[in-house]
Amino acid sequence: MNSSVPPWRSTATAPMARASAYPTTATPAYIPVQARRSLAHSTTNSTTGPVASSGRQESPDDESPKRVEFPPPVRSYVQRCFAPENQVASVSTFEMQEKLKHVITDAAENNKLGMIDWERLPLPQVMVQNERNKILANPASSNWASTQPSSPGNASRKRKSTDGQPSGTGSPPWRSANTSRFEDRVTHPTTEKKKPRIAVDQFSKSKANLEMRRKRFDLDNGKSPSPAGSPARSADADRGPVVGRCQTLEKNYFRLTSAPNPDTVRPLPVLSKALDLLKRKWKTDGNYGYICDQFKSLRQDLTVQHIRTEFTVTVYEIHARIALEKGDLGEYNQCQTQLRVLYAQQLAGHPTEFKAYRILYFIYTRNWTAMNDALADVTQEDKQDPAVKHALDVRSALALGNYHRFFQLYLDTPNMGAYLMDMFVDRERLSALAVMSRAYKPDVNIRFITEELGFESDEQAARFILDNSSAGLLEEKNGAVRLLTGKAGSLFDQAKSAAHRVVDIKGQI
Amino acid sequence: MSSIATAFKYAYNNGSGSDLAAVFTPIAPPDDPNRLRAFYQLSNAASVSLDLPYLLFHGKSPKLPKSEQSAWVDIFAAYWEAVGEVLKCEDRSPGASVITLFNAWKKLANTLIRGYSGSGSLPAWTIPCLYKVGKYLRIFAINADVEAASQGSAVLGFQEEISPEVDKNANLEEAARVINRMFTLCLSDRAAIEESRKWGIYNMTNLLFKIYFKINSVGLTKNILRAIQASAADLPSPDAFPKSHIVTFKYYVGVIHFLEENYAEAEEHLTWAWKMCHHGATKNRELILTYLIPCHLVTTHTLPSKNLLTQFPRLEGIFRPLSNCIRKGDLVGFDQAMAAGEEEFVKRRIYLPLERGRDIALRNLFRKVFLAGGFEEPKEGQPPVRRTRVHVNEFAAALRIGTPTSGQFRVDIDEVECLLANLIYKGLMKGYIARDRGIIVLSKGGNVFPGTGV
Repeated sequence: MNSSVPPWRSTATAPMARASAYPTTATPAYIPVQARRSLAHSTTNSTTGPVASSGRQESPDDESPKRVEFPPPVRSYVQRCFAPENQVASVSTFEMQEKLKHVITDAAENNKLGMIDWERLPLPQVMVQNERNKILANPASSNWASTQPSSPGNASRKRKSTDGQPSGTGSPPWRSANTSRFEDRVTHPTTEKKKPRIAVDQFSKSKANLEMRRKRFDLDNGKSPSPAGSPARSADADRGPVVGRCQTLEKNYFRLTSAPNPDTVRPLPVLSKALDLLKRKWKTDGNYGYICDQFKSLRQDLTVQHIRTEFTVTVYEIHARIALEKGDLGEYNQCQTQLRVLYAQQLAGHPTEFKAYRILYFIYTRNWTAMNDALADVTQEDKQDPAVKHALDVRSALALGNYHRFFQLYLDTPNMGAYLMDMFVDRERLSALAVMSRAYKPDVNIRFITEELGFESDEQAARFILDNSSAGLLEEKNGAVRLLTGKAGSLFDQAKSAAHRVVDIKGQI
Repeated sequence: MSSIATAFKYAYNNGSGSDLAAVFTPIAPPDDPNRLRAFYQLSNAASVSLDLPYLLFHGKSPKLPKSEQSAWVDIFAAYWEAVGEVLKCEDRSPGASVITLFNAWKKLANTLIRGYSGSGSLPAWTIPCLYKVGKYLRIFAINADVEAASQGSAVLGFQEEISPEVDKNANLEEAARVINRMFTLCLSDRAAIEESRKWGIYNMTNLLFKIYFKINSVGLTKNILRAIQASAADLPSPDAFPKSHIVTFKYYVGVIHFLEENYAEAEEHLTWAWKMCHHGATKNRELILTYLIPCHLVTTHTLPSKNLLTQFPRLEGIFRPLSNCIRKGDLVGFDQAMAAGEEEFVKRRIYLPLERGRDIALRNLFRKVFLAGGFEEPKEGQPPVRRTRVHVNEFAAALRIGTPTSGQFRVDIDEVECLLANLIYKGLMKGYIARDRGIIVLSKGGNVFPGTGV
């Protein structure tokens, strides 16, 4: 038995459970379980209800047949239902009223108006809440409910159907049905991985989400029952990619919390037009917030449709480059991770360019374990590529503390690697200054620093030194500014170690 | 009477964990090659759970509580099933599959876990069973992954998973999850330490580490180490554990530090492992040295002795050429040796530290320059003093031996200064650069190159 797999993980692939993965009918929130318990019908299980313990038998029996006349406890119960202090935010008045109606009709029909302890009976809004909690706590039961052919929202009818059955076995019918279904599922533990990840998401949700989702599905059902008939859709989502139908070019990114809706997913031709539009907009407006958001939704549409082509590579490459340019390394890293996989599938693109970035990126993040992996990825052919060769040289120069070579390489970086190198060049300048201030005595010309450490001007070099040490280190002598290396002590060492603290970027692999 | 049942009863009556664990082997012992087959043929799928109670607990049997008996019956039933798959694989009969075997073995592992965590509550002395079952779970998982890979990538294309590498190790990752549960089972046992499963903690950890290294997820080891760290107060000191567990554990912790370039800590753990490692365990000693030697090079700038290397031919192949170049101060040779061994070094993850050996080679080269510089004009009655002011051009000349004299890679004076500065900064050389005069002023009091006698 594979008990480590949560039931819903294996559900999605078990053929029997397909339909259940995407409940298309009403929410499972209306399983009669809770209601029955608290209402305690006149059937055999009446002993489980609160009535049994209440022992309120003093109400005259002859009162019950008069259905129109409600006894005072009932009236006060109803009053309490509507009292403002008893309202629950997550339960709408409508839901509460439905439940209340239900409770009272039920009691009246079964001649139990006088037998129920109205003082202690939970208010309908509380019942609704309990039911929801119960479902959240027990996703299996919600699965079960949704596989049943039932029309939306008819809790009462369903309830009656179970009521009619004898419950002498001790375990209610839905329980036993449920366990056998569970068995079904866990016999397929190994297929767990094959399920598309979207199926997982829909179960991780808060109560509010559950409710929202219910409404969404209700809406869908009401509007368009036929074209993408519910079973077809759920099967789609399980078996393979979504096929989008959306025709608009722009779309804001929204992290999916449920199965993607084909109506909001753009198919490949639309996506490729969208990419052209984005490229144009990036050139003209350069609004990174907008562009990043658009690219994320573009990537999402590709993912949910399982599109893995050269186009996918292009999208990720462009997004990665833009993110690099803007120094958004978190986003860049996401793209880089995906690209590595895509390149492994030989989908063209510019693998060497990005291999080079990857090496530079790991220099920046100082992730040596990953660096070793990156080195292992580099083939002999890759080494012929100028960008890869450059990145490797940068790494080796840094490893040996050869700042001279490092800054030569910095000034001559192919592609967009300079954006990455900019991220750690100051750090390395401090390292170099720490070395220099230990090795050179008594002083050096600032021009030497400027040239050696790739500054654009003596002023920039001087500014950098002042920002990272104390003012007394620069001195003018014979018309030239000199850095008093002999006096620097451990100033640069301190600045260096502060700058070399490990870089932590979210989502890094 | 099944010899397996006999072995079980014998082990149980003696309270011997290792004997008990030996029962759960997928390989028949050499003195009883038919053991598994005989066991499997004793029963059939329909009646195995009925036959087992009789087999195990009838006759001269250990008197066990009912709950424990039924736990063992479940475990043996799972084992019986797994043995069926083992035999199928051995016979190469149609339908034999390592993947199926892995799943059957996984079931055994899970049943065993339940035996400890559930109402069966097997006693702590039986935990060697976890070691045994976990060990083979890992092995079968690796083989299952191989089999899955050879069955083609028909399945692969379908997957939504981000990385194809994830699928490559699907079974092994599954095994890691199961073994992780064993780990938790051991760590979270609150019984008194004499009766605790905590004694299994390092064995389970080592199994997990093996897997994490294999699937290239060394990062996951952090979680385990953190968990152990968190309950360190409740654990006996490492010395109290079986040496074999601790040596492996120390080795892995050393390597983990090593990979993070914490060479000092790495050296500490690896040295411990090296000292405690059984002398006959050549393979393990070799593994430890693979990391300890580069570690030593970085921390103490010393090279492995010829004597040490000759004991380990494989290591000699890896380290000898580099060592020779470092000793001679032969930079060109060093770069060539690094390039030649790169693939092997990267594979063993020792490329980065070995690269730092270049500093030592450089130091040795500059030391030669210094020695070649000879002595100052002798003064009457005083011992000869080495020339401590060396022009940077002399070092440049040494560096240029064997390198291109023109083009991008020509060594220029600034680079020579940079290399000198680095040596000074790292304490490999004592002195300073007087840039305006173009000379290097070396320490007068001797000890110019600390630790080398000059």
